[in-house]
Amino acid sequence: MLWVDKYRPKTLDKVTVHDQVAQNLRKLVSEQDCPHLLFYGPSGSGKKTLILALIKQMFGAGAEKVKLENKTWKIDTGTRTLEIELAMLSSSHHVEMNPSDAGFQDRYVVQEVIKEMAKNRPIDAKGKRAFKVLVLNEVDKLSREAQHSLRRTMEKYSSSCRLILCCNSSSKVTEAVRSRCLNVRVNAPSEDQIVQVLEFIGKKENLHLPAGFAARIAAQSNRNLRRAILFFETCKVQQYPFTSNQVVPPLDWEQYVSEIATDILTEQSPKRLYAVRQKFYELLVNCIPPESILKKLLAELLRKLDADLKHEICHWAAHYEHKMRLGSKAIFHLEAFVAKFMSVYKEFLVATFG
Amino acid sequence: MEMDMDMPDPDELEWMESHGLLPEEEEDAYFDEPDEGFVPPHGDSDQPRDSPQPQEPAAPRTNEASEGGLKRPPPPPPSEQEDEGERSKRRNVGREDEDWLRYSPPPAPEVVIAEKTISRYASEIHGDSVPVTAPNGDRVYAKLAFEGLVGQGISGTRQWTHFSIPNRGHTGLLSESFHSLTRRAEQEALAKALQESTDSIDHEACSVTPIVTEKLWVEKYAPNSFTELLSDEHTNREVLLWLKQWDSCVFGSHIRATGDEVLSALRRHSSTTQKNASNRNFFSKSKGVRVVSLDDTPLNAPSSNPEGLGGSFSRMSSVDNTPEQKVLLLCGPPGLGKTTLAHVAARHCGYHVVEINASDDRSASSIETKILDVVQMNSIMSDSKPKCLVIDEIDGALGDGKGAVEVILKMINAEKSNNSDRSTNGEETQVRKASKKSHKIAKLLRPVICICNDLYAPALRQLRQVAKVHVFVQPTISRVVNRLKYICKTEGFKTSLIALSALAEYTECDIRSCLNTLQFLNKKRVALNVTAFDSQVIGQKDKSKSILDVWKQVLQKKKVKRTAKSESHFNEDKDINSLFTLISNRGDYDVTMDGIHENFLRLSYHDPMLQKTVKCLDILGVSDSLTQYVYRTQQMPLHAYQPPIAITISRMVAQVEKPNIEWPKALQRSRALLLEKKDMLKTWQNQMSPFVSRHLSVESFVEDIASPFLHILSPLGLRPVALNLLSEREKDELAQLVDTMVSYSVTYRNKKFVPQEKANISVVQHEVSSLSLYPPINDVINFKGYQSEHIGLSLAMKQVLVHEVEKQKIIKDSSGKLLNQTNDGDIKSEALSAIRKKTVADSIGPKLHSSKDSSKHNSCMLEMQSNSTSSVNDKDSRPAKKHSIRTVNFFERFRKEKPVDAKTRSDAGQQGATILRDSRPLIFKFNEGFTNAVKRPVRVRDLLLN
Repeated sequence: MLWVDKYRPKTLDKVTVHDQVAQNLRKLVSEQDCPHLLFYGPSGSGKKTLILALIKQMFGAGAEKVKLENKTWKIDTGTRTLEIELAMLSSSHHVEMNPSDAGFQDRYVVQEVIKEMAKNRPIDAKGKRAFKVLVLNEVDKLSREAQHSLRRTMEKYSSSCRLILCCNSSSKVTEAVRSRCLNVRVNAPSEDQIVQVLEFIGKKENLHLPAGFAARIAAQSNRNLRRAILFFETCKVQQYPFTSNQVVPPLDWEQYVSEIATDILTEQSPKRLYAVRQKFYELLVNCIPPESILKKLLAELLRKLDADLKHEICHWAAHYEHKMRLGSKAIFHLEAFVAKFMSVYKEFLVATFG
Repeated sequence: MEMDMDMPDPDELEWMESHGLLPEEEEDAYFDEPDEGFVPPHGDSDQPRDSPQPQEPAAPRTNEASEGGLKRPPPPPPSEQEDEGERSKRRNVGREDEDWLRYSPPPAPEVVIAEKTISRYASEIHGDSVPVTAPNGDRVYAKLAFEGLVGQGISGTRQWTHFSIPNRGHTGLLSESFHSLTRRAEQEALAKALQESTDSIDHEACSVTPIVTEKLWVEKYAPNSFTELLSDEHTNREVLLWLKQWDSCVFGSHIRATGDEVLSALRRHSSTTQKNASNRNFFSKSKGVRVVSLDDTPLNAPSSNPEGLGGSFSRMSSVDNTPEQKVLLLCGPPGLGKTTLAHVAARHCGYHVVEINASDDRSASSIETKILDVVQMNSIMSDSKPKCLVIDEIDGALGDGKGAVEVILKMINAEKSNNSDRSTNGEETQVRKASKKSHKIAKLLRPVICICNDLYAPALRQLRQVAKVHVFVQPTISRVVNRLKYICKTEGFKTSLIALSALAEYTECDIRSCLNTLQFLNKKRVALNVTAFDSQVIGQKDKSKSILDVWKQVLQKKKVKRTAKSESHFNEDKDINSLFTLISNRGDYDVTMDGIHENFLRLSYHDPMLQKTVKCLDILGVSDSLTQYVYRTQQMPLHAYQPPIAITISRMVAQVEKPNIEWPKALQRSRALLLEKKDMLKTWQNQMSPFVSRHLSVESFVEDIASPFLHILSPLGLRPVALNLLSEREKDELAQLVDTMVSYSVTYRNKKFVPQEKANISVVQHEVSSLSLYPPINDVINFKGYQSEHIGLSLAMKQVLVHEVEKQKIIKDSSGKLLNQTNDGDIKSEALSAIRKKTVADSIGPKLHSSKDSSKHNSCMLEMQSNSTSSVNDKDSRPAKKHSIRTVNFFERFRKEKPVDAKTRSDAGQQGATILRDSRPLIFKFNEGFTNAVKRPVRVRDLLLN
C-alpha cells in the first residue's frame, strides 16, 4: 500500500493537518443531529479523508464495511427509458457516489437515484442515528439542472438523509445548494503542516530525514499533501539514505508543459502555434484537465517573463480560462491564449530590442 | 435513323397532330384568360370545340387499325412522335367527354334526337353533327338540326335547346303557343348563358382537367428526339450504345436487331470500355440481321432453318446476350436532363418507358411485382412495345424504398448463378430452358435505367458495383444558351444573349430551373436582365455542398480580376453572400469550425505580429461558446450567427493558392482517446479495493499520482538478481512493492512485441520488455516527443513480480475468507494488513532459505503457497520457453539463464514444501467450490493443533 493510503488518518482524533476543522466536526456529530455538509477546497487537501473520518465518527466501525456496486438504473423520463450505470460504494449506513459520472444525464441521477435512496429510511436496530448519509463527490461538475433538482431533495428528505457534498470550488455550486449546507472549507495545508506530516511518516517508517529535505519536498508539492507524500515515497524508493540535495522527480505532465512554454518563448509564429497545438492534444488525450494545463503553462511562462508583461499575461490567462469554461472545445481557448501570448510577447520584444 | 422506315406515315401524323392538337391549345389559351374579353361568351364558343371532334375519334381508330394491320407479333417499335400524338389525342378525347358530361342536362332530349338522326359514323350524317357519348361509353353522332326560327343572333344558346325546339315544333300538341314558348326558352337561355359566362371563371378554375393550365415550358420543349438532346453528346451515345446492346435480347433473333454499322458508328464516338461484351454482341447481331434478310417470318424454328446450328446459336445468344452490366446508373446534379435522356433514348430504341419514381410506392413487396411485370413479361397485347424500366430518384430510396435496389440486385445475382449453372448443364434445348427460367427466378430481360443525384448515397452502394455508371457533366453554357434562345424566340419572349448566359451560369446549367424562370418571367411580362438575379425572382438552388468544399471556399480566396474599384466592391459583397449561403446551407457548424481550426494555421498568410491569428482563435472561441450556449438553451435560431464567424476568418486568412485541406481528425481522435483512457482508468479503479479507490479520481490520479506511482513501482534499489541474493532490506522493499501492486491491482502482463519500440535502442529495457504494466498506466505519461525519466524494471524482475503478485492475490483471497469468520471489522483491517505483511515475508522466506526458521508461523497457508508457487511456476515455464525461442540477440544469454532460475526456485519451493510435509503428519487439500461431503465449519487451527 502506498504511504498516502497507509498513513491516512482513519478517525477525526488522528487528523493532524486540519485539526481545528476536525474538532469542530467532532463536536457537531456528538450532538444528535447533523446538517447537510459541503466540503470544498483544492485537491490534495484532505476533504475526502475528513469526510470518511466523520462518517466513521458517526456510525462507528460499521461504516467501514463497504462494498462496491455497479448498478444499472432504469429511469423513465416519460418519452423513453434511460439506462444509467453508476458505481457506488455503500455500507449499511452510507452511500458514496459520483453523480457527475452520468455526464449530461446527471439530472436524472439526482432526480431518481438519489431521491430513491434518500427516501428510504435506514433500518437501524439500535436506532442510534435516524438518518443515513449520502456522499456526493465532484458536485461542482454537476450541471445546473442537476443542482437545482438537488435542492428540493435536500429539503424534502432531510428527516431521513444527510447529504455530504464534496467539491473543489464552491463557486460552481449554486447559491441555493450552498445555503442549505454547512460549508466546510478545507484549505490546502501550509508547507509547515506538510513538513510535519512527512516527518511523522518518516518516523513511522524509521527513516532518517536530513534537515531541509522535507521542506524541499513540501515546496515542490504546491501545497498538495497527496503529492508531497507521493514525492516522499518516490524519493525513498529511488535512493534511500536521503541526501539533502536529492532530486525530487518532477511530474511528467508538468515537465511536458514547461517544454511547451520553452517552445512558445523561443519562437512566435503560426507554425510554432501549430506544433504547440499537437502537444496540447497530447496532454488533453491523457486526461489532464485543460484548466490545469493553462494554470501550469501560465506559471511556467511567468517565470521567464519580464515584469512588465506579467500583469497583462495573467489577465489574458484569466480571460481565456473563463472562455474555456463557457465553451466545450478546450483546445480552441488554450490555443487562443498561446496566440495572444505570442502576439503580446513579440510586440514587447520588437519594442524593446527593435 | 433506321426506325424511320417503320413509321406508318409521318406526314399524316404530323398533319393530324397539327389539326388535332393545336385547336385544343388555342382553346386552352382562351379559357385561361376569359376575363380579358378576348372571346366573349358567345354561342359559337362551343362550336369550335366540337368541330374537330368528328375527326378525332375516328383518326386514332383508323390509325390503330392500320397499325394493327401493319404490325407483326413482335411489334416494330413505332416512333415516339406517333406514340406521343396518339396518347395526347386519347387524352383529349377523354377530356372532351368529361367536359361534355359536365355540361349535360338530363339526357332525355338527346335520346329523342338519337332516334331521328343518329349514326355510328359521322360520315353517314349529312351536315353538322355532334358526337354523343352515352354513360355506358357508346359513342354516336347526332345530326344537328337548325330551325330557321332560331336566330343566329341569340347568343349563348345551348345545343340542347336547339334540339328541343324542333322536337316540340314537330309535335304541335302544346298548350302554349309555340312562339311564346320559344321566346321564353330564349330568355331562359340568355339568362343562363350570361350567368354561365360570369361564373365560368370559377368553374374552370376549380376544374381538375388540365385544359386550363398552360403547359410548362420544361415539358413543352422537352426534347422529343435523340438529336435534340441537350446533354453531353458523349454521354448520350454511351447510353444509346448500352441500350442497343439489349437489342438482341429484347427483340430476339428477328427483325429489330441493330445493324453493325450503326453500332460501330455509335462505338466510334463512345469509349470502348466493354470491348469484349460488344464484340460478342457484334457477332450475334450480324447473325440476327442475316436471318432477317433471309426471310421475314419472325419466329423461324431452328429446325426449319437451313442453318440450324447458326439459328440455335443466335437464339441462345439472344437469351444470353444481354450487356455485361444489366443496369445503367445515371447520376448527376438535378436539372441536367437525366430523366429526359433516359426517356428519349429508350423510346428511340423502341421501348415503351415505364417509370417508377419517388412518388410511387417503393416498398420491396409492391415493387418486386412491378419490376417483374416490366422486366420479364411481354404484354399480352401483341401490339405493345417491349418495356424499359426507368427508376427515377433511386438514391432517395430509403427505408421501404430500398426495395427497388434490392429487387434489382437480387435479379442480377440470380442471373449470375444461373449463368454458372448453365455452363455445367451443357447443351439442351434452349427454348425450354428459357421458358423454365422465367418461371424459376426473376431474370433481368429488359433494360433497367436507374437515375440518381448522389452516386455515393449509401442505398446505392451495392448497385454501384454491378451497374454501368454514367456521371452527367454540365452541358456547356453555350449549348444551354442556344437552346434557351430558341425557346425564347418561339415563345416570343425578348431576351439578350448575355442575360441568358448569366442565367445559365447562375443556375449552374440547370435547364429546368432556367426554363421555369423564363416562363415565370414571361408570365409576369418582366424582361430578363442581369441585375434581376439578386432579387427574389430567381431562386437559387438550395443545394448543400460537401463539407470539404465549404472549407475550401472559406480558406481560399477567389482570384480577383483587375476591375474597377466599385466593381470589386460589388464582387466582395457577392462573395460574402455566396459564402454565407454556402455555409448556412451546409449547416453543420460544429464540424465546419473544427475544419477551419484544423487548417487555418497552415495557410501562409502574412501575420508578423500574430494579430490575425489571435483574432481568428478568439472568434473561434466565440463560436465554441455560442455552440455550447445554443446546446444548453436550445435556442437554435442563434446558429444563424455562425456563418459570419467563418466569413470573418475567411476574410482574414484566406489565400489565393489552393489550401491543402485536411479533415479535422485530431480533435475527434483526441476526444475518442480521452474517453478510452478515462474508461480504462475507471475500470482499473473499480478493480481496486474500495479503501484505496474511494480516494482516487481520474483527474487526481493523472495529475498527482501517476508519475510518482510509476517511480514507486520501479524502485532503483532492486537489483535484478536471484531472489536469494537479496539483502534483508531489499526483501523488505520487494515485499512492500508487491503489496502496493496488489492493493492497486497492478501487474505485469505479456504484451505483444511492438516493432516501433525498436526505435529507441538507447533504452534497452524498453525495447525488449515484453512484459508491461497492466492496466497500462504508463500510457498516461506517454507524451509524444517527450522522454520520460522513468526506468522500467528489468525483465527478470518483472517476472518475479508477476509471480509474487499472483501469489499474493491468492493469499489475500484466502485470508479474506478466513477472516470473514472473525466478524470484527476493525480488527479485520488491522489483522489483514498484519497477516499480509507476514505472509509476504513468509512467501519470500522459504524460497530463499528453504529452511524452517520461519516455521514458527507456518500455517496451512504455507502449504497452499507452495502449491500455488509450483502451479504458477508450471504455468510460467511455458512463456519463458517461448521467450528463449523467439529472439536471438543480446538478451538471449539472459533468458536462457532465467528458466533455470525459475526451475531452481520452484525446486527450492517444492523442497521446502516436502520438508514441511514430512515434518507434519497432516496434509489437506482445499478444493474451493466443490465437495460432496457433509459440510461442517472447521478451523484450520483446530486441525493443526498437536
